[in-house]
Amino acid sequence: MASTATSASTTRDPLEPIPLIQGVQTDESLNTSLLDHVWRSPGKGWWTLFGLALAGLGLLVIGVTVTLWKGIGMWGNNIPVGWAFGIINFVWWIGIGHAGTLISAILLLLQQKWRTSINRFAEAMTLFAVICALLFPLIHTGRPWFAAYWLMPYPSVQGIWPQFKSPLVWDVFAVSTYFTISLLFWFLGLIPDLASLRDSSKKPLQKTIYGMLALGWRGSGRHWAEYKWAYLLLAGLSTPLVLSVHTIVSFDFAVSILPGWHTTVFPPYFVAGAVFSGFAMVVTWMVPARQFLGLKHVVTMKHLENMNKVILATGLMVSYGYAMEHFIAWYSGSQYEFDEFFQVRMRGPMAPVYWLMMFCNVVVPNIFWFKKARTNLLIMWVAALLVNVGMWCERFNIIATSLHRDFLPSKWELYAPTWVDWSIYIGTIGLFSTLFLLFLKFVPAVAVTEVKELRHELAHQAHGHAEEAHG
Amino acid sequence: MSHGGGFEPRRYVIGQFAGPEAMLDATRKMRERGHKKLDTHTPYPVHGIEEALGLGRAKIPTIVLCGAITGACLAYALIYFMNVVDFPINVANRPIHSAPANIPIMFELSVLLGGTSSFFGLMALMRLPEPYHPVFEAESFWRASIDGFFLSIEVPKGQSPEAVAAELKSLSEVSVEIVEESER
Amino acid sequence: MSSHDQDPLQDHPEDHARSTPSGNGASSGSPRRISLPIVDEALAATEAASGAVREQRKYWRSIAEKEGSPKLAAAAQREFPPGASELPEVSRRSFMKLFGGGAAAAGLAACHPSDEQAIPFVRRPEEVTPGNALHFATAYGVEGYGLGLVVESHEGRPTKIEGNPDHHDSLGATGRYEQALLQGLYDNDRAKQLKHKDEPLSWHTFLSQMATLSGRHAADGGAKLRFLTEPTASPLQLELRKRILEKFPKAKFTSYSSIAGDGAADGLRLAYGKYVEARHELTRASVIVSLDADFLGEGPESVRAMRQFAGGRLPGAPMNRLYVVEPALTVTGMSADHRLRLRAGDVAGFALALAAELGRRPGFAQLAGIASGGHGVTAGDPKWISAVASDLIKHRGQSLLIAGRRQSAAVHAVVAALNAALDNVGTTVTYATPLLADPLSGPKALAPLAEEIAAGQVDTLVITAYNPAYTAPADLKFDKLLARVPNAIYWAAYEDETAAVSSYVVPAAHALESWGDARATDGTISLVQPLIAPLWGGHTDIEILGAFLGEGDLSAYEVLRRSWAAKQASVPGATGEFDQVWEKWVGDGVIVGTETSPEAALTLDAAAIQQGLGALLAAGPKGAGVEIAFVPDYKVVDGRFANSAWLQELPDPVHKITWDNAALISPAMAKSLGVEVERDNDKFSVLVIEYKDRRVHAPALIAPGHADDSITLALGYGRTGAESVASGVGFNAGVLRGSDAPWFDRGAQVSLATGMHLFGLTQNHWSMENREPAIATSLADFQNPRSEARELLEERRAALPTIHEPHDYSKEQYKWGMAIDLGKCTGCSACIVACQSENNIPTVGRDQVVRGREMQWLRVDRYYSGELEDPEVIVQPLACVHCETAPCEYVCPVNATVHSDEGLNEMVYNRCVGTRYCSNNCPYKVRRFNFLDFTSETPAVRRLGMNPEVTVRSRGVMEKCTYCVQRIERKRIDTRVAGRLIEDGELKTACQQSCPAGAIEFGNLNDLKSRVTKAQADERRYDLLHELGTRPRTAYLARVRNLNPELAKG
Repeated sequence: MASTATSASTTRDPLEPIPLIQGVQTDESLNTSLLDHVWRSPGKGWWTLFGLALAGLGLLVIGVTVTLWKGIGMWGNNIPVGWAFGIINFVWWIGIGHAGTLISAILLLLQQKWRTSINRFAEAMTLFAVICALLFPLIHTGRPWFAAYWLMPYPSVQGIWPQFKSPLVWDVFAVSTYFTISLLFWFLGLIPDLASLRDSSKKPLQKTIYGMLALGWRGSGRHWAEYKWAYLLLAGLSTPLVLSVHTIVSFDFAVSILPGWHTTVFPPYFVAGAVFSGFAMVVTWMVPARQFLGLKHVVTMKHLENMNKVILATGLMVSYGYAMEHFIAWYSGSQYEFDEFFQVRMRGPMAPVYWLMMFCNVVVPNIFWFKKARTNLLIMWVAALLVNVGMWCERFNIIATSLHRDFLPSKWELYAPTWVDWSIYIGTIGLFSTLFLLFLKFVPAVAVTEVKELRHELAHQAHGHAEEAHG
Repeated sequence: MSHGGGFEPRRYVIGQFAGPEAMLDATRKMRERGHKKLDTHTPYPVHGIEEALGLGRAKIPTIVLCGAITGACLAYALIYFMNVVDFPINVANRPIHSAPANIPIMFELSVLLGGTSSFFGLMALMRLPEPYHPVFEAESFWRASIDGFFLSIEVPKGQSPEAVAAELKSLSEVSVEIVEESER
Repeated sequence: MSSHDQDPLQDHPEDHARSTPSGNGASSGSPRRISLPIVDEALAATEAASGAVREQRKYWRSIAEKEGSPKLAAAAQREFPPGASELPEVSRRSFMKLFGGGAAAAGLAACHPSDEQAIPFVRRPEEVTPGNALHFATAYGVEGYGLGLVVESHEGRPTKIEGNPDHHDSLGATGRYEQALLQGLYDNDRAKQLKHKDEPLSWHTFLSQMATLSGRHAADGGAKLRFLTEPTASPLQLELRKRILEKFPKAKFTSYSSIAGDGAADGLRLAYGKYVEARHELTRASVIVSLDADFLGEGPESVRAMRQFAGGRLPGAPMNRLYVVEPALTVTGMSADHRLRLRAGDVAGFALALAAELGRRPGFAQLAGIASGGHGVTAGDPKWISAVASDLIKHRGQSLLIAGRRQSAAVHAVVAALNAALDNVGTTVTYATPLLADPLSGPKALAPLAEEIAAGQVDTLVITAYNPAYTAPADLKFDKLLARVPNAIYWAAYEDETAAVSSYVVPAAHALESWGDARATDGTISLVQPLIAPLWGGHTDIEILGAFLGEGDLSAYEVLRRSWAAKQASVPGATGEFDQVWEKWVGDGVIVGTETSPEAALTLDAAAIQQGLGALLAAGPKGAGVEIAFVPDYKVVDGRFANSAWLQELPDPVHKITWDNAALISPAMAKSLGVEVERDNDKFSVLVIEYKDRRVHAPALIAPGHADDSITLALGYGRTGAESVASGVGFNAGVLRGSDAPWFDRGAQVSLATGMHLFGLTQNHWSMENREPAIATSLADFQNPRSEARELLEERRAALPTIHEPHDYSKEQYKWGMAIDLGKCTGCSACIVACQSENNIPTVGRDQVVRGREMQWLRVDRYYSGELEDPEVIVQPLACVHCETAPCEYVCPVNATVHSDEGLNEMVYNRCVGTRYCSNNCPYKVRRFNFLDFTSETPAVRRLGMNPEVTVRSRGVMEKCTYCVQRIERKRIDTRVAGRLIEDGELKTACQQSCPAGAIEFGNLNDLKSRVTKAQADERRYDLLHELGTRPRTAYLARVRNLNPELAKG
């Protein structure tokens, strides 16, 4: 594509000689191999995973039903711990979502060729993660049936409007925007591939369905001309968006006066944490996926290693964030802040979560200093899992632990999640997996068009037909 | 499509090329020979296609810019009206009108409107969705989204498609097809 | 009302509305009453019975009817608006409407028929306008004396209890129990059916059976007729007794209350040669020494005592100083300047040691003699004792020693001697002829009766005392005995343990349903008038006693009125026509001039004490081993309030326990026993306590400041009666109690049982974590302008820099604010119940409290400081402080909590979506959230008692203290009508009005002369979490401890 071509074609690909596409491939071979898993009926692995996912989804349905029926009291929340699992999971999912946008948008702007084979995958992940996240702000309220629309600025019979100084209102705008844009971005990128699905489908039904979804795409040059711009601009918009979303999420806490929340370092360190957990989640899914879907030739070890490098980098940023928090808690001279970090979190009743977080987010990523670890599937998978756990603990620490012991010792209370809390949390993982597996089944998990384009470029560089691109 | 009896099918000459280079070359030449309604069909964007087809600057960026600016202004206006004009109330002794608090939503709305306008603007420009197009009539056109590189020329009234086809053949190694819009 | 329905009112309001006015047998022809022949027969009979009385005179059943509007009269005939009974299902709103209507008619019909005229406190019922509350004066008391009350009534439904400012003991305030009276009234578990051996009985049949009974007893002069009553000073009760004893010379009356102490009566008898009762005047006392006396926390004098004590806690004026000697922390102990923890059994030793110490000082030789009578029994730290002695001498004539109800005659005698020697008699303490019918009414008083029953000398036993089968000392096996009494007639508030073993169960009319009279502790008489007709057709004890005088068919009203008509002359100044006098008496709630004067010429018999002591001490508890000591519970007393969810869920003033009692032990003892503490300091090991042949499983609770080797056990729990709220809560400490040593004894074996117990504590954390939210300082420090304490106070009220100008409220008519004086607050917690009642705050039950979801808007925080074994304690009431820059407001996404022009932090319930962000951001954590639907299952009868001026919150909504905005608006309306501003003092919040100590001031900060403005300008003023810049409207006044320099540590 233009942006890529003009510059990249002259320079050699930084990631060579390790190929981004293995073996000798033609457009057609790529097409067949990459679409193969769509035509092929799913294997045992897929079905077992899907079964598990559906079971999880069932839990979600139960949990949400109970919550709506009996009330938020079915959760472990109390006074002072007004927020717990609901918001923890919300932030966690949103964070995971961020990696997708980052990979597809930012790497696109940075013209990182290696993104092409994983961006579709990552974008889908974003989309589904955001769907899971969106669930929580709604059901965690006391009266969801009102919360669903009272936060929207519409002329209500009460003659009253939302209160725009509240970070929660900012949240509503941020998250809904994020979802819309991610969806459009993902779909726009999907159109040409849907067209190739249409054209290579054997059964008439498939042809019609994919045909409709392809919107009659015919690869017209006039279309490509505008399309490239649109895609690029969406990427351009998504990049600051992704930063803004988690910044605003962090405002939910930073804007308050609660020790452990009232922190200026939150926005950057939330974003870093988001990317951190997001990439970990990509690895967690990509490692098995490339195995089961036979994508080894496009999702190469190079990709995985790069992602592990990102995990290491963001992990270090997160560690810095922690260091800063603790330093300021001491340096500010505020007794509440100091107690929060050095008494409540380190020694309080919820200290285990704190130390688990420290281990998973500060210690574990450092294993990726070693190439051996970066390139070992098992190690990276376990590490990625741990990072996901660690990032969940971080949110637990920030939210539940800060709340359960704040200013007045007289109203210090313990917090313990109930079975409903757990089933909803596990349930969202089920929802995520369900959507993801469906995506893997019905849509090319790799951006076929972009891979073809990449192959084209690489081929030309290989044969030194540089002027071709200058034309 | 169908206008009673007076239906005049559009006619196309479609050539399929071995690779993008040949296609680009042919496109340029055909345009130099004064052919107007040219279009190419490729599985992925081919560099230099704009130049080959003689397309002007893309319009999308302008549309998106407008969308984004509208979003930002709308947000500020919205908040100002709701919390300052229509229902001002003492909330925690904070100023009724405080600009900093508006920034997040201004940004989000500008992105939202920018993004949506880029997508729907694009759809408008491409006239998509358009499930049927005469070029689909071509025998091998299904390759256009897989590994085929096509050049389509809409033949103006009064010209014979055969002539155009011959002209195209004379330019490069290509398999040419003539299709006619079908009436449904 | 069909007594066979679990909750007949639940979903059929119309039924209830019919039952309310039941002056006349209630729901005649209720469409859906389960038709059981028995019930019908009973009810028919009941109606006949009351009908008999009715025929004589014409009733009007509603104002309309009285005024003769035919249409309304017709409606009143149905006692319900048309269409009501037709409604298949009723929406809550319309339901409450209907209810209101029915209840209005009901209440009026019940309370104010032309000849049973209840007199409103301020206005006459002719002026009843729906929506405007009326106030009626009445009286209620737990321990034989009556506390003057003013009850607010909406459309004939009592909805709020307040104190009667004109009453000697109340002074306008109330205690916890009075505030919770409504729960006892609107209680579905109340005994509803008169029964004989489980056979439903009509009042009419009952009376005839009583007639035959008394006829039989009259033959032998009532030799086998016995009466077991609550201790009482009611003139009418005494009169009835006299007349019954005239009719049955051989019959006997026994006063009994398991929480009454007998030490005082015997001790003072020993000291003064006859039964007298002590009256205390704390206003005159500069030094107060409490010997295991919780005079601020319990007892008929406590409300008055708190007001008087608090009056002496202002550093400006001369302060009083309180020494407390006690085993377990009490409300009084928490207020002490110096506290000495001693086993209850060692208090006698302390008394003697103090007497001996004083005896060594010049001019107290007499005491030395008395002390010598103690044969060297002694206890307590000599340094402490000598310091107290010196202080007492320094304040000779303005000091006061008080001995607790639990303490033996010996202690009371010595204390009497000490007071006499210190010239306190006549100033801080006076002695008067006992007002109570029997001077002795404690557990010991029950023994003789028990023996008689065992010997089969009792045929008929009339029980109007509370639940003896449960409260009687275990060794008497009173429940077994009762079963053997042929005719045990129990005047039952509930179908409780005693009702289960009594042959007759007569449903009791609630205090708010009854006519009667009562005496204040100074003898002033109050007339008790009903606020509503008996909901389930209960009867008063007067009517039951009357049955034995052949006057059972006379209503209590008749009996009372006759008796007072006869006594009118005896009342000074009560001249003129009786009707007017009566009207004034009932209306005022007190009969002025009826107080009894203390005995003038009393001489202390030191010799008698000196000789008597030895015997008394020998008889008293002694020996080694762990001590078990019993206390009346701060919430359920002896179990009589156990069915009140408000009181069950009220955090214990000291230990913050809800829905439980515990074995309180000192930290050291817990250590030696190996008591484990789990979770967040709210899960403790269970103990097995064995004493003589009795044993009980009791969960331990570590109580800082408790005496070692001593266990304090609260009575009134572990109930097994048919009371849905009470049953199964806590354990019954009474099973360890013996009639020989009913209050404390040593020699208990304690061991760990398996398992742990999780308490529903509303505060698990003891320490202030060096944050000093509640500031206490010594008088010395306070008077030194450069002391740390003063600097801290200065710092916490200094103006803080702010980015933008604070909103200017000075232009408003009102700027509401509050000031809470920690120096006055004793932590008694009456305010919490008052708030709960005023604001329709739901109770959530034990499980929810464990989860930290209690709903009380007002909480009283209790912090320990110093060493755990012997800590200093401070309490701090805390509700929403209405910050001017409220952190809760700017985070609310839907504008559901915003500021009013007058500076109230308002909660807009119907706008709230329940994000709980406001609570998270509230540094005081005073917001409460409806995590579940806590209200919709409130039984209809309970809803009768709800405040119609306060919204009932739904599930998923945040709520909190509103500064009683409904009261503000009500007063605003009244004053606007009168065309003036609200004056200082005429508007009180519920907590403020109930506060016995007067620790809470509320009012207009724009009025520079208002009490609250002055209070906030006080030197002791500081803001809670001031450094956060929230600009709270509620300010606190630091507590100043008046320490004895000799004892002041550091």
